[in-house]
Amino acid sequence: MKEDKTEKKGAVSSLYIVQRIFTVLMIVMAFFPIANPAKICGLVSRKISLFTSAVSYSSLVGECKRAFRMNWIDEYIFIITFVGALIAVIGIIATGVGICASLGNLKLQRLGLRFTIFGTIGEVVGYIVCFVSYIILKGNVRPDKLEKVNPDFPIGVIVFGVGAIILLALSLAISAKLPKVPEGMKYEMESKYKLFLMFLPFALLAFLFCYLPLYGWRYAFFDYKSGGTLSADNFVGFKWFTYLFKNEATRRDLINVMTNTLAISGLNVVTSWIPMIFAVFLCEMRSMKFRRIVQTFTTIPNFISWVLVYAVALSIFSTDGFINTFAKQIGLLAPGKTGPNYLMGDSMTWVKMWAWGTWKGVGWSAIIYVSGIAGIDQSLYEAATVDGAGRFQKMRHVTIPGLLPTFFVLLLMAIAGILSNGLDQYLVFRNAENAEHINVLDLYVYTLGIGNGSIPLSTVVGMFKSVISVILLFAANGASKLLRGESIV
Amino acid sequence: MAKTAQEKIDAKKEKEYYKKHKKMYRTTPGDVVFNVLNYTFFGLFTLTCIFPFYYLFINTVSNNDLVKKGLVNFYPKGFNIDNYIALRQVSDLGSAFIVTITRTIIGTILMVLASAFVGYLVTKQEMWHRSFWYRFLVITMYFNAGMIPIYLNMALLGLTQNYLVYIIPGIVQPYNIILVKTYIESIPSELEESAFIDGASYMAVFRKLIWPLSKPILATIAIFGAVGHWNSFQDSLLYMQGNSSLFTLQHRLYVYLNTSSNLAALMSQGRTAAQQAMEQALNAKVIKYTISMVSVIPIFCVYPFMQKYFEKGIMLGAVKG
Repeated sequence: MKEDKTEKKGAVSSLYIVQRIFTVLMIVMAFFPIANPAKICGLVSRKISLFTSAVSYSSLVGECKRAFRMNWIDEYIFIITFVGALIAVIGIIATGVGICASLGNLKLQRLGLRFTIFGTIGEVVGYIVCFVSYIILKGNVRPDKLEKVNPDFPIGVIVFGVGAIILLALSLAISAKLPKVPEGMKYEMESKYKLFLMFLPFALLAFLFCYLPLYGWRYAFFDYKSGGTLSADNFVGFKWFTYLFKNEATRRDLINVMTNTLAISGLNVVTSWIPMIFAVFLCEMRSMKFRRIVQTFTTIPNFISWVLVYAVALSIFSTDGFINTFAKQIGLLAPGKTGPNYLMGDSMTWVKMWAWGTWKGVGWSAIIYVSGIAGIDQSLYEAATVDGAGRFQKMRHVTIPGLLPTFFVLLLMAIAGILSNGLDQYLVFRNAENAEHINVLDLYVYTLGIGNGSIPLSTVVGMFKSVISVILLFAANGASKLLRGESIV
Repeated sequence: MAKTAQEKIDAKKEKEYYKKHKKMYRTTPGDVVFNVLNYTFFGLFTLTCIFPFYYLFINTVSNNDLVKKGLVNFYPKGFNIDNYIALRQVSDLGSAFIVTITRTIIGTILMVLASAFVGYLVTKQEMWHRSFWYRFLVITMYFNAGMIPIYLNMALLGLTQNYLVYIIPGIVQPYNIILVKTYIESIPSELEESAFIDGASYMAVFRKLIWPLSKPILATIAIFGAVGHWNSFQDSLLYMQGNSSLFTLQHRLYVYLNTSSNLAALMSQGRTAAQQAMEQALNAKVIKYTISMVSVIPIFCVYPFMQKYFEKGIMLGAVKG
């Protein structure tokens, strides 16, 4: 008797595992455009998923506006499709809820089964509605425009439909095998699952916005043009990877971009001791009031966006900015003449960019060192004084060694981030004259992908950047472990 | 003159410092030179940080003719606030303000709630595969698919040209979650245990115990998050192409800074004669300054509150999760 019970339990839990896997697959698939059950004709974008079709009617009919206006097709057909997709997605959500409830006790499992059963039935209904709208569309479209509208049998209906029916069968099977709920049982769940379910929505968000984009790497292997599609026809393998290095123009661009990136990051890495020295000298000032003022105002630029920094730069350095008007006022510049625009021109672009970055960041970066100095044991200074150390000797032998561990960590992080200069600064300061020397990797990817629409090539460049950055991070971490016995990530 | 509490503390610290180091700091001529140089350097650097904003400000409140002639350099001349009034006519500025203000409020609130809640959940050892899920979040800080795949992903999810792109992707911030988690771990666990013994649920403990106790760190991330939202530029630039009514303020400003110096280009169409007459007195440069000033003022307003949390934020950031 007892054996029989455990066997039954084992069968149910393995059924549950299959059911969970299927549900997760279906939820994930709802986010991918492949096999979208709502894609009933050629006018529905191939880039929208079932999920998008269900939440945004305007994306679903995005490309049909003209067809509606010209009366090729009736709009109500798409409303039916939309409703079908919506029912299906609600069904999928209900199934998901049911699966979550299946982690609880018997009573919750029963409740969950109700959800999965009704959810899957809803899904099937939704897919059927989508299919019906396809049939209506096929019958209704103006014959001479058949090719334009191109009614397309939604394979997704079959794929999702079969999935839903399997899930339904599984749920019914589990339902048959589960014992009856005893009287007076309460809804309960083990706390480990409870915590997990509370966490799940946030994991889902992280998945959607941080992991799902990795799927976009597939564009690197296709000959894709904006608005086009990915299919076996335009699969090109590693063409873009070799193209990047073999093509004369892109190779030259890449070398130029890498030079700029490494030069500007290099300047930043080489001068990363500046905030530390800034803090050391700041703490040499004995007037607390003055120190507070300095710290307050030097930190402000860190909280100003790069666009505003550029606005400020314009007000000071442009043709009618402060420097030129002041020069006119004191007679350095003849009244009729227009002064130079210091922001244009390509002289020392790297150094200028470094200088703006340093101006913006030094006060902020110094804070961590200031609190580091506050944490240094005062008796060390007293001992140094007794030994006859002067101001600079104390700095060299007490303060700076005390700050070095922090400096070291920040230096390694800077090295790991050497390819990531960011986009904003270089975009706002770019102009026709300095375009060549300001073009860092992020800006290059942006102009290539968004500006020129070379999606595959810019994806390839981005892939290289991501992979190299991770390798650098691990290298920096390894170096830290080796030298200090502590990891930084 | 009444001293603020902070000043009193400063003065006390200073006095103690002098007493302690009387011997250490016997002033020599070298020290005098050093101090003069040191104070001068920091004074000048501080000036470079604050003067540009002051310069913008005095130019926006001075007589526009004098500004045009380039005569306003160090102090305002001929007070006038027409420039600020004229902003009402600058096309699309209003919508940019609404977009930015609403995203700052909604985005910050959701981010703080999520960070607090997730930060609390990941401190719970009994969570199913806790360390795996925690790493699942933390890894995303160090790795991303790249600008273009992320852009394509937003398009896939139907978030391009959609206001929600400002809110939803910013809800889960691993760095802030680590900060909150570290903070919650420093709260004595006996408090929580006694609550559980009294039969409280996880939600109740979070609401009545964890949330109030971790307010300092939540304030920190709220302020940094709000500044981030206010300064947001890149997401608007990438995802709002062709939908200028949803541009953020910084993006709008960027567009204005790059348009011609022709004033008419900035102003909305359909003006009355009186408005046109007023525009005669304005000039594009000053209008740009004024827009910049308006978008920087909120930062200056929250700045005093932020300062309190600087050190806390940055020091906790150094503690890894």
